Amino acid sequence: MGITAENILELKKINKSFPGVKALSDVDLELRKGEVLALVGENGAGKSTLMKILSGAYKKDSGSIIFDGQEVDIQSPIHSEELGIAIIYQELNLIQRVSVAENIYLGRYPKKNGIVQWQKMYSDSEKLIRELGLDINVKSMLRELSLAQQQLVEIVKAVSTNAKVVIMDEPTSSLSQSETEILFGIIKKLRSKGTSIIFITHRLDEIYEVCDRMSILRDGCYIGSREVKDISKNEMIEMMIGRKLTNQYPVRDTQIGEVVFEVRHLADGDNKVKDVSFQAHAGEVLGFAGLVGAGRTETMRLIFGADKKTSGEILIHGKQTVINNPRDAIKNGIGFVTENRKEEGLFLRSSVKVNTVMVSLKKILKKGLYFDFKKEKEYAEEYVKLLQVATPSVNQRVMFLSGGNQQKVVLAKWLLSDSDIIIFDEPTRGIDVGAKCEIYEIINQLVANGKVVIVVSSDMEEVMGVCDRIIVMHEGVISGEVSKENISQSIIGRLSVGG
Amino acid sequence: MKNKRDGNMKSKIYSVANSMGAWLIILILIVIMSFINSKFLSVSNFINVFRQVCVVGICALGVSFVVLGGEIDLSSGMGATFAGCNAALLITKCNVPMWIAILIAVAVGALVGAFSGFIVTYWRIPSFIGTLGVQYIVQGLVLITTNSMPVTNLPDGFLFLGRGYIANIIPVPVIIMIIFFGVGAFLLKYTPFGRSVIAVGENAEAASLSGLKVNLTKMLMFTLGGLCAACAGIVMTARLSSGQPSSGADLGLQALAAVYIGGTFKGSMFNTLAGALVWGFINNSLNLLGVSAYWQKVVLGAIIILAVLLDAIRARVSAAK
Repeated sequence: MGITAENILELKKINKSFPGVKALSDVDLELRKGEVLALVGENGAGKSTLMKILSGAYKKDSGSIIFDGQEVDIQSPIHSEELGIAIIYQELNLIQRVSVAENIYLGRYPKKNGIVQWQKMYSDSEKLIRELGLDINVKSMLRELSLAQQQLVEIVKAVSTNAKVVIMDEPTSSLSQSETEILFGIIKKLRSKGTSIIFITHRLDEIYEVCDRMSILRDGCYIGSREVKDISKNEMIEMMIGRKLTNQYPVRDTQIGEVVFEVRHLADGDNKVKDVSFQAHAGEVLGFAGLVGAGRTETMRLIFGADKKTSGEILIHGKQTVINNPRDAIKNGIGFVTENRKEEGLFLRSSVKVNTVMVSLKKILKKGLYFDFKKEKEYAEEYVKLLQVATPSVNQRVMFLSGGNQQKVVLAKWLLSDSDIIIFDEPTRGIDVGAKCEIYEIINQLVANGKVVIVVSSDMEEVMGVCDRIIVMHEGVISGEVSKENISQSIIGRLSVGG
Repeated sequence: MKNKRDGNMKSKIYSVANSMGAWLIILILIVIMSFINSKFLSVSNFINVFRQVCVVGICALGVSFVVLGGEIDLSSGMGATFAGCNAALLITKCNVPMWIAILIAVAVGALVGAFSGFIVTYWRIPSFIGTLGVQYIVQGLVLITTNSMPVTNLPDGFLFLGRGYIANIIPVPVIIMIIFFGVGAFLLKYTPFGRSVIAVGENAEAASLSGLKVNLTKMLMFTLGGLCAACAGIVMTARLSSGQPSSGADLGLQALAAVYIGGTFKGSMFNTLAGALVWGFINNSLNLLGVSAYWQKVVLGAIIILAVLLDAIRARVSAAK
């Protein structure tokens, strides 16, 4: 290593912590002039954090960044842009109600004596778009474009700043095949002009198609870099996930019973979920693996009635069950521990007590009319004790609890409502290791009592650790199923990218 | 050691002050005014203040539910006028028996509220705009039905609702207001409906995923808002002895102010009562001090801003803890 003329960007020993989480530890990264570098790793490996440090959205705790031969301390997104770093996030950062040209030149309209020169802006942006081989009317409103075209506008915008480094965070996730090809064309053009590109993707095939080199992150650590032409897909997956399995997963010995829950040909008409069928047994932990965007959360939301399904049947104990909204699902004994507990699961300003009884208000009614607060408190205290929620009292506001304890409160809510089929979407996201283990133990208890547990998780180790059987999804369909005996990370990894 | 006790004292005082909310403002106001003006501290003056805030109080009770549910209702003042004028018209022009007329007027008021709820929930129109539109529609209807003329010649039985006294000392509207707040506080605290309102206001997505009927809750809270506004309008009309087409112009905003000054978000309906009383006591104090009506507006406006600012600071302090 060391400073060489051919490196446009060097990161050395970058560290970044968030409260309770070490997101990056001593991460190194090199980016050469005019190369396309793939940055890969599992969800939560630290890719996005690292890129946000480069774009000025986060500040690093320690480490150094050398850009174009000079050490820099990136202060803000504007500073990053001035240096010549452009970033394209997964979510669009464009304004829907103004024209394409205005979006491209947002914040740096061509001006003369303080007056915006519209003609120049239109002609300049048109020239840019044509150079990149695109066909987009620069005067049309952004919202008139398809999502994919909007994504391309974002890319044009990044290019228009004449950035020396362009970072693309999963740019192809919303693009179709042909649009992806257009994007690759743009990337190759940029490379030939000497621009360096960091390309974040989960689709390993794309790496072979467009990238020169790849660097791998895992659990916030830098694992290594390889020339793409020298590495096989299996080696890639192994580098991404390969780590000795430690046994943080409590063992269980549960008898798996008959089929309790069945889904047939579920689809949402929005192409996020195309055709999903599966069965789940009493006492079984069924896992759903796959990449972010594979349609797992969407499938669960359809099952729970949170979104409208266009087709498909749900059978509970062999009986056809109509589920049009979450109320129907709850009545039929389904509980849903959502992916984002703060946004979808909890009432943060309310107390542990209020959150616990939220689904079971009927249980605390006296004469069916008004609340019995004594009962409410008893129920809440019962579940606080059962799940070992660390809280001074049941009157504590949920916002003051740690992530793990918040997750337990969500769980208490569903246990109190007598759910028999409990869906966990990313059950341990943002939870420290100790609390994780407790959640796994609770899952074990649930299946020991004959309940059905479905676990959606992007943490492959977790899926393998807690599940009896794993269904892998890819682009809205089930791409495979693996039973406990045959579980291996490389199989799941291969199925996740479509086999 | 001493320091620690001081800290405990401080935090105790702080938490008491925090839970008192707008009641604290009233208390401070009473103490100060008692020293400044001899006429202030008397039973008759206090009853006077309570009597003055009745209409706003009843109206604000309904608005509280809407605000707690995460929406806003600008139309309540016009809803009150509409109900008052309708009742007056039915009694004087159509010879409908008094109680039936009141019942019809209140039912129509509840329907207006339900309509607001409908356009906000099912047509997804932001409540600020939606209820602004409803307000103008209702105002128009009032002007059409009354021809912009006051409706007079109301029977004594009707006037009793606004001007009567029980045992020669307690005004009837005060009793009506207290009953309303009793029921409102019960609804909010002890029933699934009240719990749903708070849940929907705090996190509609989580409420829906917890199986609560989000749309129904929103419809109901707007309906209740319309119903309370209508009842406030009946009392207002009885107090004024006539259905005045222009009477409720400011009422809706005063009701909103009472909700925000009271800090009803903290979950108690009685905070709204405190908010209305702050308004009443400040009005009363300024009158006693001989401050001109024009300047009173300036002061009241400042109070709204200060009360909400205080709440924001309190929230920030408790979040930082």
